[in-house]
Amino acid sequence: MIWTGNPKIRSLARFFEARWFLSIVLVGVFLWSLTGVDWNGSIVHSGGGSSFKDFSLGLFPPELSPGFMKLAIIASWQTVVHAVAGMTLAVIIGLPLGVVASGSLGNPSRSRLAIAVVVRFVLAFMRSIHELVWAVLFVAAFGLSSLAAVMAIAVPYAGMLGRIYSEVLNDVPEGPLDGLRSAGGSSFSVLVYGRMPMAITDMLSYSFYRFECAIRAAAIMSFVGIRGLGFEIQLSLNDLLFGEVWTLLFFLFGLVLLVDYWSTRVRRSLDS
Amino acid sequence: MRLTNDIAGQESNCSNAEAPLVDGRGIGKSFGTLMALAPLDISIGAGERVALAGPSGSGKSTLLYLLAGLVPPDRGELILDSQPVAGLQPGKELSEAVGLIQQQLDLVPQLPVIQNVLAGRLGQWGILRSLASLFSARERKSVEVVLSRLGVADKIDEPTSHLSGGEQQRVAIARLMIQAPKVLLADEPVSSLDPARAEEILRLLTGLVADTGGAMVASLHSPDLIREHFTRVIGLRHGILQFDIPARELTSTVLEALYDLDREPED
Repeated sequence: MIWTGNPKIRSLARFFEARWFLSIVLVGVFLWSLTGVDWNGSIVHSGGGSSFKDFSLGLFPPELSPGFMKLAIIASWQTVVHAVAGMTLAVIIGLPLGVVASGSLGNPSRSRLAIAVVVRFVLAFMRSIHELVWAVLFVAAFGLSSLAAVMAIAVPYAGMLGRIYSEVLNDVPEGPLDGLRSAGGSSFSVLVYGRMPMAITDMLSYSFYRFECAIRAAAIMSFVGIRGLGFEIQLSLNDLLFGEVWTLLFFLFGLVLLVDYWSTRVRRSLDS
Repeated sequence: MRLTNDIAGQESNCSNAEAPLVDGRGIGKSFGTLMALAPLDISIGAGERVALAGPSGSGKSTLLYLLAGLVPPDRGELILDSQPVAGLQPGKELSEAVGLIQQQLDLVPQLPVIQNVLAGRLGQWGILRSLASLFSARERKSVEVVLSRLGVADKIDEPTSHLSGGEQQRVAIARLMIQAPKVLLADEPVSSLDPARAEEILRLLTGLVADTGGAMVASLHSPDLIREHFTRVIGLRHGILQFDIPARELTSTVLEALYDLDREPED
Protein backbone atom coordinates (compact mmCIF):
# COMPACT_ATOMS: atom_id res chain seq x y z
CA MET A 1 0.00 0.00 0.00
CA ILE A 2 1.07 3.56 -0.62
CA TRP A 3 0.47 4.94 2.84
CA THR A 4 2.39 2.37 4.89
CA GLY A 5 5.10 4.96 5.53
CA ASN A 6 3.10 6.82 8.15
CA PRO A 7 2.81 4.81 11.40
CA LYS A 8 -0.29 6.70 12.56
CA ILE A 9 -2.20 6.00 9.35
CA ARG A 10 -0.85 2.47 9.33
CA SER A 11 -2.28 1.68 12.75
CA LEU A 12 -5.56 3.30 11.70
CA ALA A 13 -5.62 1.15 8.57
CA ARG A 14 -4.90 -1.95 10.65
CA PHE A 15 -7.81 -1.04 12.93
CA PHE A 16 -10.22 -0.90 9.99
CA GLU A 17 -8.83 -4.11 8.53
CA ALA A 18 -9.19 -6.02 11.79
CA ARG A 19 -11.42 -9.07 11.44
CA TRP A 20 -13.60 -8.32 14.47
CA PHE A 21 -14.24 -4.78 13.26
CA LEU A 22 -15.31 -5.96 9.80
CA SER A 23 -17.48 -8.70 11.33
CA ILE A 24 -19.34 -6.24 13.56
CA VAL A 25 -19.91 -3.83 10.66
CA LEU A 26 -21.23 -6.60 8.38
CA VAL A 27 -23.56 -8.06 11.02
CA GLY A 28 -24.71 -4.53 11.90
CA VAL A 29 -25.51 -3.71 8.29
CA PHE A 30 -27.50 -6.93 7.96
CA LEU A 31 -29.54 -6.25 11.11
CA TRP A 32 -30.15 -2.69 9.98
CA SER A 33 -31.35 -3.92 6.58
CA LEU A 34 -34.04 -6.02 8.33
CA THR A 35 -35.64 -2.81 9.64
CA GLY A 36 -36.19 -1.80 6.02
CA VAL A 37 -38.50 -4.76 5.37
CA ASP A 38 -42.25 -4.09 5.75
CA TRP A 39 -43.08 -7.14 7.90
CA ASN A 40 -46.81 -6.39 8.11
CA GLY A 41 -47.37 -6.13 4.37
CA SER A 42 -47.23 -9.18 2.14
CA ILE A 43 -43.65 -10.23 1.60
CA VAL A 44 -44.69 -12.69 -1.06
CA HIS A 45 -46.75 -11.37 -3.98
CA SER A 46 -50.18 -12.97 -3.66
CA GLY A 47 -50.55 -13.74 -7.36
CA GLY A 48 -47.02 -15.16 -7.48
CA GLY A 49 -48.09 -18.76 -7.00
CA SER A 50 -50.01 -19.03 -10.24
CA SER A 51 -47.31 -17.21 -12.22
CA PHE A 52 -44.77 -19.60 -10.82
CA LYS A 53 -46.94 -22.53 -11.87
CA ASP A 54 -47.35 -21.17 -15.40
CA PHE A 55 -43.63 -20.60 -15.64
CA SER A 56 -42.83 -24.13 -14.44
CA LEU A 57 -45.34 -25.67 -16.83
CA GLY A 58 -43.63 -23.89 -19.71
CA LEU A 59 -40.83 -26.42 -19.30
CA PHE A 60 -43.16 -29.21 -20.56
CA PRO A 61 -42.22 -28.95 -23.29
CA PRO A 62 -40.07 -25.92 -24.13
CA GLU A 63 -40.62 -24.31 -27.54
CA LEU A 64 -38.60 -26.41 -30.00
CA SER A 65 -40.14 -25.48 -33.39
CA PRO A 66 -37.52 -25.02 -36.15
CA GLY A 67 -38.46 -21.40 -36.64
CA PHE A 68 -37.94 -20.55 -33.00
CA MET A 69 -34.74 -22.60 -32.75
CA LYS A 70 -33.36 -20.56 -35.63
CA LEU A 71 -34.27 -17.37 -33.80
CA ALA A 72 -32.63 -18.65 -30.60
CA ILE A 73 -29.46 -19.56 -32.46
CA ILE A 74 -29.25 -16.13 -34.07
CA ALA A 75 -29.85 -14.46 -30.70
CA SER A 76 -27.17 -16.65 -29.08
CA TRP A 77 -24.78 -15.78 -31.87
CA GLN A 78 -25.38 -12.06 -31.32
CA THR A 79 -24.76 -12.48 -27.61
CA VAL A 80 -21.56 -14.45 -28.18
CA VAL A 81 -20.29 -11.91 -30.69
CA HIS A 82 -20.87 -9.05 -28.26
CA ALA A 83 -19.18 -10.96 -25.44
CA VAL A 84 -16.16 -12.04 -27.51
CA ALA A 85 -15.60 -8.62 -29.03
CA GLY A 86 -16.09 -6.86 -25.69
CA MET A 87 -13.79 -9.28 -23.90
CA THR A 88 -11.10 -9.03 -26.58
CA LEU A 89 -11.13 -5.27 -26.32
CA ALA A 90 -11.10 -5.54 -22.52
CA VAL A 91 -7.95 -7.68 -22.61
CA ILE A 92 -6.27 -5.34 -25.11
CA ILE A 93 -7.00 -2.35 -22.86
CA GLY A 94 -6.66 -4.12 -19.50
CA LEU A 95 -3.31 -5.82 -20.02
CA PRO A 96 -1.14 -2.72 -20.59
CA LEU A 97 -3.04 -0.78 -17.93
CA GLY A 98 -2.59 -3.68 -15.50
CA VAL A 99 1.15 -3.83 -16.20
CA VAL A 100 1.50 -0.09 -15.57
CA ALA A 101 -0.69 -0.29 -12.44
CA SER A 102 1.49 -3.11 -11.08
CA GLY A 103 4.41 -0.65 -11.11
CA SER A 104 6.77 -3.36 -12.33
CA LEU A 105 8.06 -1.52 -15.40
CA GLY A 106 10.84 1.03 -15.37
CA ASN A 107 13.17 2.00 -12.56
CA PRO A 108 11.71 2.40 -9.08
CA SER A 109 11.00 6.08 -8.70
CA ARG A 110 8.49 8.53 -7.32
CA SER A 111 7.08 9.35 -10.75
CA ARG A 112 6.57 5.69 -11.60
CA LEU A 113 4.63 5.23 -8.37
CA ALA A 114 2.54 8.31 -9.18
CA ILE A 115 1.68 6.96 -12.65
CA ALA A 116 0.78 3.57 -11.16
CA VAL A 117 -1.55 5.22 -8.64
CA VAL A 118 -3.25 7.33 -11.33
CA VAL A 119 -3.78 4.24 -13.51
CA ARG A 120 -5.19 2.35 -10.52
CA PHE A 121 -7.71 5.14 -10.05
CA VAL A 122 -8.65 5.03 -13.74
CA LEU A 123 -9.16 1.25 -13.51
CA ALA A 124 -11.27 1.68 -10.37
CA PHE A 125 -13.43 4.25 -12.14
CA MET A 126 -13.95 1.99 -15.17
CA ARG A 127 -15.14 -0.97 -13.09
CA SER A 128 -17.08 0.94 -10.43
CA ILE A 129 -19.81 1.68 -13.00
CA HIS A 130 -21.94 -1.34 -13.87
CA GLU A 131 -21.92 -2.59 -17.45
CA LEU A 132 -25.63 -1.82 -17.77
CA VAL A 133 -25.00 1.82 -16.85
CA TRP A 134 -22.16 1.94 -19.36
CA ALA A 135 -24.63 0.43 -21.86
CA VAL A 136 -27.08 3.27 -21.28
CA LEU A 137 -24.28 5.80 -21.83
CA PHE A 138 -22.96 4.10 -24.97
CA VAL A 139 -26.45 3.64 -26.42
CA ALA A 140 -26.90 7.37 -25.98
CA ALA A 141 -23.61 7.89 -27.80
CA PHE A 142 -23.71 5.24 -30.55
CA GLY A 143 -27.40 4.34 -30.76
CA LEU A 144 -28.83 0.80 -30.38
CA SER A 145 -25.87 -0.83 -32.09
CA SER A 146 -23.51 -3.70 -31.43
CA LEU A 147 -20.78 -1.14 -30.87
CA ALA A 148 -22.61 0.12 -27.78
CA ALA A 149 -22.87 -3.42 -26.39
CA VAL A 150 -19.20 -4.16 -27.09
CA MET A 151 -18.02 -0.94 -25.46
CA ALA A 152 -20.33 -1.43 -22.48
CA ILE A 153 -18.60 -4.74 -21.79
CA ALA A 154 -15.08 -3.66 -22.75
CA VAL A 155 -14.79 -0.65 -20.44
CA PRO A 156 -15.79 -2.10 -17.03
CA TYR A 157 -14.20 -5.47 -17.81
CA ALA A 158 -10.91 -3.80 -18.75
CA GLY A 159 -11.06 -2.16 -15.33
CA MET A 160 -11.51 -5.52 -13.58
CA LEU A 161 -8.95 -7.35 -15.70
CA GLY A 162 -6.37 -4.56 -15.26
CA ARG A 163 -6.75 -4.63 -11.51
CA ILE A 164 -6.49 -8.42 -11.23
CA TYR A 165 -3.61 -8.59 -13.75
CA SER A 166 -1.66 -6.03 -11.74
CA GLU A 167 -2.19 -7.96 -8.51
CA VAL A 168 -1.28 -11.32 -10.03
CA LEU A 169 1.85 -9.87 -11.65
CA ASN A 170 2.92 -8.47 -8.28
CA ASP A 171 2.16 -11.67 -6.40
CA VAL A 172 4.69 -13.93 -8.14
CA PRO A 173 7.63 -15.24 -6.05
CA GLU A 174 10.55 -12.80 -5.90
CA GLY A 175 13.32 -15.42 -6.11
CA PRO A 176 13.18 -16.18 -9.83
CA LEU A 177 12.88 -12.43 -10.52
CA ASP A 178 16.08 -11.77 -8.56
CA GLY A 179 17.70 -14.53 -10.60
CA LEU A 180 16.75 -12.75 -13.83
CA ARG A 181 17.93 -9.41 -12.45
CA SER A 182 21.30 -10.84 -11.50
CA ALA A 183 21.57 -12.20 -15.05
CA GLY A 184 21.24 -8.60 -16.24
CA GLY A 185 17.51 -8.55 -16.98
CA SER A 186 15.87 -5.13 -17.31
CA SER A 187 12.48 -4.55 -15.73
CA PHE A 188 10.94 -5.35 -19.12
CA SER A 189 12.75 -8.67 -19.50
CA VAL A 190 11.96 -9.52 -15.86
CA LEU A 191 8.31 -8.89 -16.80
CA VAL A 192 8.24 -11.08 -19.91
CA TYR A 193 10.66 -13.81 -18.72
CA GLY A 194 9.56 -13.94 -15.07
CA ARG A 195 6.31 -12.28 -14.06
CA MET A 196 4.28 -13.14 -17.17
CA PRO A 197 5.16 -16.86 -17.39
CA MET A 198 4.57 -17.30 -13.65
CA ALA A 199 1.28 -15.36 -13.68
CA ILE A 200 -0.17 -16.47 -17.02
CA THR A 201 -2.25 -19.39 -15.68
CA ASP A 202 -3.94 -17.23 -13.07
CA MET A 203 -4.44 -14.40 -15.55
CA LEU A 204 -6.00 -16.74 -18.10
CA SER A 205 -8.29 -18.47 -15.66
CA TYR A 206 -9.54 -15.13 -14.36
CA SER A 207 -10.05 -13.90 -17.93
CA PHE A 208 -12.10 -16.99 -18.72
CA TYR A 209 -14.20 -16.47 -15.62
CA ARG A 210 -14.77 -12.90 -16.77
CA PHE A 211 -15.63 -14.16 -20.26
CA GLU A 212 -18.37 -16.24 -18.68
CA CYS A 213 -19.63 -13.11 -16.93
CA ALA A 214 -19.39 -11.24 -20.24
CA ILE A 215 -21.74 -13.77 -21.88
CA ARG A 216 -24.31 -13.15 -19.18
CA ALA A 217 -23.74 -9.39 -19.36
CA ALA A 218 -24.16 -9.45 -23.14
CA ALA A 219 -27.45 -11.33 -22.73
CA ILE A 220 -28.71 -8.77 -20.22
CA MET A 221 -27.93 -5.82 -22.52
CA SER A 222 -31.50 -6.21 -23.84
CA PHE A 223 -32.75 -4.12 -20.96
CA VAL A 224 -31.46 -1.09 -22.78
CA GLY A 225 -32.71 -2.46 -26.12
CA ILE A 226 -29.65 -4.14 -27.59
CA ARG A 227 -30.36 -7.37 -29.50
CA GLY A 228 -29.34 -10.79 -28.17
CA LEU A 229 -30.59 -13.65 -26.02
CA GLY A 230 -31.87 -11.35 -23.27
CA PHE A 231 -33.83 -9.29 -25.78
CA GLU A 232 -35.71 -12.41 -26.95
CA ILE A 233 -36.21 -13.58 -23.35
CA GLN A 234 -37.79 -10.26 -22.52
CA LEU A 235 -40.09 -10.38 -25.57
CA SER A 236 -41.23 -13.93 -24.75
CA LEU A 237 -41.76 -13.03 -21.10
CA ASN A 238 -43.90 -10.06 -22.07
CA ASP A 239 -46.06 -12.36 -24.20
CA LEU A 240 -46.18 -14.93 -21.34
CA LEU A 241 -44.72 -17.55 -23.70
CA PHE A 242 -42.85 -19.46 -21.01
CA GLY A 243 -41.96 -22.36 -23.31
CA GLU A 244 -39.90 -19.94 -25.40
CA VAL A 245 -38.31 -18.48 -22.28
CA TRP A 246 -37.13 -21.92 -21.23
CA THR A 247 -35.60 -22.62 -24.63
CA LEU A 248 -33.71 -19.35 -24.52
CA LEU A 249 -32.53 -20.01 -20.95
CA PHE A 250 -31.20 -23.39 -22.05
CA PHE A 251 -29.26 -21.69 -24.82
CA LEU A 252 -27.75 -19.25 -22.32
CA PHE A 253 -26.90 -22.14 -19.99
CA GLY A 254 -25.32 -24.01 -22.92
CA LEU A 255 -23.14 -21.03 -23.80
CA VAL A 256 -21.83 -20.71 -20.24
CA LEU A 257 -21.12 -24.46 -20.10
CA LEU A 258 -19.26 -24.23 -23.39
CA VAL A 259 -17.02 -21.43 -22.11
CA ASP A 260 -16.43 -23.37 -18.92
CA TYR A 261 -15.39 -26.48 -20.86
CA TRP A 262 -13.11 -24.47 -23.12
CA SER A 263 -11.41 -22.67 -20.22
CA THR A 264 -10.79 -25.97 -18.42
CA ARG A 265 -9.16 -27.37 -21.55
CA VAL A 266 -6.93 -24.33 -22.02
CA ARG A 267 -5.85 -24.25 -18.38
CA ARG A 268 -5.08 -27.96 -18.39
CA SER A 269 -2.87 -27.58 -21.44
CA LEU A 270 -1.02 -24.71 -19.71
CA ASP A 271 -0.51 -26.59 -16.47
CA SER A 272 1.00 -29.67 -18.03
CA MET B 1 61.17 6.50 -24.13
CA ARG B 2 61.97 4.22 -21.25
CA LEU B 3 59.96 6.42 -18.92
CA THR B 4 56.79 6.20 -21.03
CA ASN B 5 57.13 2.46 -21.22
CA ASP B 6 57.40 2.25 -17.48
CA ILE B 7 54.29 4.32 -16.96
CA ALA B 8 52.36 2.35 -19.53
CA GLY B 9 53.47 -0.85 -17.84
CA GLN B 10 52.36 0.40 -14.44
CA GLU B 11 48.99 1.48 -15.75
CA SER B 12 48.23 -1.84 -17.32
CA ASN B 13 49.24 -3.47 -14.06
CA CYS B 14 46.85 -1.29 -12.12
CA SER B 15 43.82 -1.94 -14.28
CA ASN B 16 44.34 -5.64 -14.93
CA ALA B 17 46.07 -8.36 -13.04
CA GLU B 18 46.85 -6.55 -9.81
CA ALA B 19 43.54 -4.83 -9.18
CA PRO B 20 41.14 -7.06 -7.24
CA LEU B 21 37.95 -8.12 -9.00
CA VAL B 22 35.96 -7.39 -5.85
CA ASP B 23 36.98 -4.54 -3.58
CA GLY B 24 34.54 -3.79 -0.78
CA ARG B 25 35.55 -0.99 1.54
CA GLY B 26 33.56 -0.91 4.76
CA ILE B 27 30.42 -2.31 3.13
CA GLY B 28 27.56 -3.09 5.50
CA LYS B 29 23.80 -3.55 5.49
CA SER B 30 21.02 -3.18 8.04
CA PHE B 31 17.37 -4.12 7.68
CA GLY B 32 15.53 -1.78 10.02
CA THR B 33 17.22 -2.20 13.39
CA LEU B 34 18.71 -5.56 12.46
CA MET B 35 22.38 -5.34 11.55
CA ALA B 36 22.54 -7.99 8.83
CA LEU B 37 26.16 -7.30 7.98
CA ALA B 38 28.53 -5.13 10.00
CA PRO B 39 30.83 -2.98 7.85
CA LEU B 40 33.71 -5.07 6.55
CA ASP B 41 36.52 -4.87 4.03
CA ILE B 42 36.67 -7.60 1.45
CA SER B 43 39.06 -7.88 -1.45
CA ILE B 44 39.03 -10.77 -3.90
CA GLY B 45 41.47 -11.20 -6.76
CA ALA B 46 41.29 -13.18 -9.99
CA GLY B 47 41.62 -16.93 -9.51
CA GLU B 48 40.50 -16.83 -5.88
CA ARG B 49 37.78 -19.18 -4.69
CA VAL B 50 36.31 -17.88 -1.46
CA ALA B 51 34.07 -19.91 0.83
CA LEU B 52 31.67 -18.15 3.19
CA ALA B 53 31.00 -20.08 6.37
CA GLY B 54 28.76 -19.31 9.30
CA PRO B 55 25.46 -20.33 10.92
CA SER B 56 22.08 -19.36 9.44
CA GLY B 57 21.43 -15.65 9.75
CA SER B 58 25.12 -14.84 9.93
CA GLY B 59 24.98 -12.52 6.93
CA LYS B 60 26.32 -14.84 4.22
CA SER B 61 23.36 -14.34 1.91
CA THR B 62 23.34 -10.60 2.59
CA LEU B 63 27.00 -10.36 1.62
CA LEU B 64 26.35 -12.33 -1.57
CA TYR B 65 23.38 -10.13 -2.47
CA LEU B 66 25.52 -7.02 -1.85
CA LEU B 67 28.29 -8.39 -4.06
CA ALA B 68 25.72 -9.26 -6.74
CA GLY B 69 24.58 -5.65 -6.80
CA LEU B 70 21.00 -6.78 -6.07
CA VAL B 71 20.97 -4.94 -2.72
CA PRO B 72 22.76 -1.59 -2.32
CA PRO B 73 25.04 -1.35 0.75
CA ASP B 74 23.98 1.13 3.47
CA ARG B 75 27.54 2.23 3.94
CA GLY B 76 30.93 1.79 2.39
CA GLU B 77 31.86 1.44 -1.23
CA LEU B 78 31.86 -1.63 -3.45
CA ILE B 79 34.19 -1.72 -6.44
CA LEU B 80 33.74 -4.49 -9.00
CA ASP B 81 36.38 -4.97 -11.65
CA SER B 82 37.83 -1.48 -10.95
CA GLN B 83 34.47 0.28 -11.20
CA PRO B 84 32.17 1.44 -8.38
CA VAL B 85 29.11 -0.80 -8.47
CA ALA B 86 26.77 2.19 -8.33
CA GLY B 87 28.30 3.43 -11.58
CA LEU B 88 27.89 0.14 -13.43
CA GLN B 89 25.08 0.05 -15.96
CA PRO B 90 22.52 -2.18 -14.19
CA GLY B 91 21.80 -4.67 -16.97
CA LYS B 92 24.80 -5.15 -19.22
CA GLU B 93 27.87 -4.10 -17.23
CA LEU B 94 26.74 -5.51 -13.90
CA SER B 95 25.86 -8.88 -15.43
CA GLU B 96 29.30 -9.02 -17.06
CA ALA B 97 30.93 -8.40 -13.68
CA VAL B 98 28.90 -10.65 -11.36
CA GLY B 99 26.42 -13.49 -11.55
CA LEU B 100 24.56 -15.28 -8.77
CA ILE B 101 23.23 -18.79 -8.23
CA GLN B 102 20.62 -18.55 -5.52
CA GLN B 103 19.95 -21.01 -2.77
CA GLN B 104 16.57 -22.10 -4.14
CA LEU B 105 17.98 -21.99 -7.72
CA ASP B 106 15.07 -19.74 -8.56
CA LEU B 107 14.61 -20.60 -12.16
CA VAL B 108 11.28 -19.67 -13.75
CA PRO B 109 9.47 -23.03 -13.47
CA GLN B 110 7.01 -22.40 -16.32
CA LEU B 111 9.66 -21.61 -18.95
CA PRO B 112 11.36 -24.34 -20.99
CA VAL B 113 14.95 -25.10 -19.99
CA ILE B 114 16.43 -23.30 -23.00
CA GLN B 115 14.73 -20.03 -22.02
CA ASN B 116 15.97 -20.25 -18.45
CA VAL B 117 19.50 -20.77 -19.76
CA LEU B 118 19.21 -17.97 -22.32
CA ALA B 119 18.14 -15.63 -19.51
CA GLY B 120 21.90 -15.41 -18.91
CA ARG B 121 22.01 -13.27 -22.07
CA LEU B 122 19.33 -10.78 -20.96
CA GLY B 123 22.01 -8.29 -19.92
CA GLN B 124 23.37 -8.25 -23.47
CA TRP B 125 20.06 -8.22 -25.30
CA GLY B 126 17.79 -5.28 -25.97
CA ILE B 127 14.03 -5.33 -25.44
CA LEU B 128 13.13 -6.53 -28.94
CA ARG B 129 15.69 -9.30 -29.04
CA SER B 130 14.64 -10.58 -25.58
CA LEU B 131 11.01 -10.60 -26.65
CA ALA B 132 11.72 -12.28 -30.00
CA SER B 133 13.84 -14.96 -28.35
CA LEU B 134 10.96 -15.87 -26.06
CA PHE B 135 8.98 -16.98 -29.12
CA SER B 136 11.81 -18.38 -31.20
CA ALA B 137 14.89 -19.12 -29.09
CA ARG B 138 18.13 -17.59 -30.26
CA GLU B 139 21.62 -19.05 -29.93
CA ARG B 140 20.27 -22.57 -29.56
CA LYS B 141 23.63 -23.99 -30.54
CA SER B 142 25.53 -22.43 -27.62
CA VAL B 143 22.85 -23.59 -25.16
CA GLU B 144 23.17 -27.13 -26.54
CA VAL B 145 26.95 -27.02 -26.07
CA VAL B 146 26.66 -25.83 -22.47
CA LEU B 147 23.90 -28.28 -21.53
CA SER B 148 25.74 -31.26 -23.01
CA ARG B 149 28.83 -30.29 -21.02
CA LEU B 150 26.60 -30.53 -17.95
CA GLY B 151 25.00 -33.77 -19.11
CA VAL B 152 21.43 -32.50 -19.48
CA ALA B 153 21.32 -31.75 -23.21
CA ASP B 154 18.23 -33.94 -23.66
CA LYS B 155 16.18 -31.67 -21.38
CA ILE B 156 16.62 -28.55 -23.51
CA ASP B 157 12.95 -28.18 -24.51
CA GLU B 158 11.30 -29.50 -21.35
CA PRO B 159 9.46 -27.23 -18.93
CA THR B 160 11.92 -26.47 -16.14
CA SER B 161 9.42 -27.58 -13.48
CA HIS B 162 9.61 -31.16 -14.84
CA LEU B 163 13.31 -31.46 -13.93
CA SER B 164 14.69 -32.97 -10.74
CA GLY B 165 16.51 -30.81 -8.19
CA GLY B 166 19.91 -31.95 -9.42
CA GLU B 167 18.99 -31.25 -13.04
CA GLN B 168 17.70 -27.79 -12.15
CA GLN B 169 21.01 -27.12 -10.41
CA ARG B 170 22.74 -27.80 -13.73
CA VAL B 171 20.35 -25.52 -15.58
CA ALA B 172 21.17 -22.73 -13.10
CA ILE B 173 24.88 -23.35 -13.74
CA ALA B 174 24.24 -23.40 -17.49
CA ARG B 175 22.62 -19.97 -17.22
CA LEU B 176 25.73 -18.71 -15.42
CA MET B 177 27.98 -20.26 -18.09
CA ILE B 178 26.02 -18.41 -20.77
CA GLN B 179 26.22 -15.21 -18.73
CA ALA B 180 29.96 -15.78 -18.08
CA PRO B 181 30.44 -13.15 -15.35
CA LYS B 182 33.91 -12.36 -13.98
CA VAL B 183 32.82 -13.02 -10.41
CA LEU B 184 30.64 -16.02 -9.75
CA LEU B 185 28.50 -15.98 -6.61
CA ALA B 186 26.68 -19.00 -5.23
CA ASP B 187 24.37 -19.07 -2.22
CA GLU B 188 24.61 -22.55 -0.65
CA PRO B 189 24.99 -24.29 -4.02
CA VAL B 190 25.32 -27.75 -2.48
CA SER B 191 23.08 -27.51 0.59
CA SER B 192 20.44 -29.95 -0.65
CA LEU B 193 22.71 -32.39 -2.48
CA ASP B 194 24.21 -35.74 -1.59
CA PRO B 195 28.03 -35.79 -1.20
CA ALA B 196 28.74 -37.16 -4.68
CA ARG B 197 26.55 -34.56 -6.35
CA ALA B 198 27.92 -31.77 -4.17
CA GLU B 199 31.42 -32.77 -5.21
CA GLU B 200 30.42 -32.71 -8.87
CA ILE B 201 28.67 -29.35 -8.73
CA LEU B 202 31.67 -27.74 -7.03
CA ARG B 203 33.97 -29.23 -9.68
CA LEU B 204 31.76 -27.72 -12.38
CA LEU B 205 31.81 -24.33 -10.69
CA THR B 206 35.58 -24.29 -10.14
CA GLY B 207 36.02 -25.40 -13.75
CA LEU B 208 33.88 -22.49 -14.87
CA VAL B 209 35.99 -20.06 -12.81
CA ALA B 210 39.17 -21.52 -14.27
CA ASP B 211 37.78 -21.04 -17.79
CA THR B 212 36.84 -17.40 -17.34
CA GLY B 213 39.88 -16.52 -15.23
CA GLY B 214 37.55 -14.89 -12.71
CA ALA B 215 36.79 -15.51 -9.08
CA MET B 216 34.14 -17.31 -7.06
CA VAL B 217 32.41 -16.70 -3.76
CA ALA B 218 30.16 -19.42 -2.37
CA SER B 219 28.54 -20.07 0.98
CA LEU B 220 28.70 -23.62 2.32
CA HIS B 221 29.16 -25.50 5.57
CA SER B 222 31.26 -28.59 4.90
CA PRO B 223 34.89 -28.14 6.03
CA ASP B 224 36.04 -30.97 3.74
CA LEU B 225 34.51 -29.39 0.66
CA ILE B 226 35.89 -25.99 1.66
CA ARG B 227 39.43 -27.32 2.05
CA GLU B 228 39.24 -29.27 -1.19
CA HIS B 229 37.66 -26.75 -3.55
CA PHE B 230 38.43 -23.32 -2.15
CA THR B 231 41.53 -21.17 -1.68
CA ARG B 232 40.22 -19.01 1.11
CA VAL B 233 37.52 -19.07 3.76
CA ILE B 234 35.68 -16.21 5.45
CA GLY B 235 33.79 -16.84 8.69
CA LEU B 236 30.72 -14.76 9.57
CA ARG B 237 28.65 -14.78 12.73
CA HIS B 238 25.81 -12.39 13.62
CA GLY B 239 26.84 -10.31 10.62
CA ILE B 240 30.35 -9.83 11.98
CA LEU B 241 33.54 -10.99 10.30
CA GLN B 242 35.19 -13.69 12.46
CA PHE B 243 38.12 -14.78 10.31
CA ASP B 244 39.51 -14.57 6.80
CA ILE B 245 42.10 -17.30 6.32
CA PRO B 246 43.50 -19.60 3.62
CA ALA B 247 41.18 -22.60 3.25
CA ARG B 248 43.90 -25.12 4.11
CA GLU B 249 44.23 -23.50 7.56
CA LEU B 250 40.59 -24.18 8.38
CA THR B 251 40.53 -26.52 11.36
CA SER B 252 37.55 -28.13 13.01
CA THR B 253 38.20 -26.09 16.19
CA VAL B 254 37.87 -22.85 14.23
CA LEU B 255 34.69 -24.05 12.57
CA GLU B 256 33.15 -25.39 15.79
CA ALA B 257 33.68 -22.05 17.48
CA LEU B 258 31.99 -20.37 14.50
CA TYR B 259 28.89 -22.55 14.72
CA ASP B 260 28.78 -22.74 18.55
CA LEU B 261 25.15 -22.14 19.56
CA ASP B 262 25.88 -20.97 23.11
CA ARG B 263 28.29 -18.21 22.29
CA GLU B 264 26.82 -14.72 22.69
CA PRO B 265 27.22 -12.14 19.92
CA GLU B 266 30.18 -9.90 20.65
CA ASP B 267 29.39 -6.21 20.31
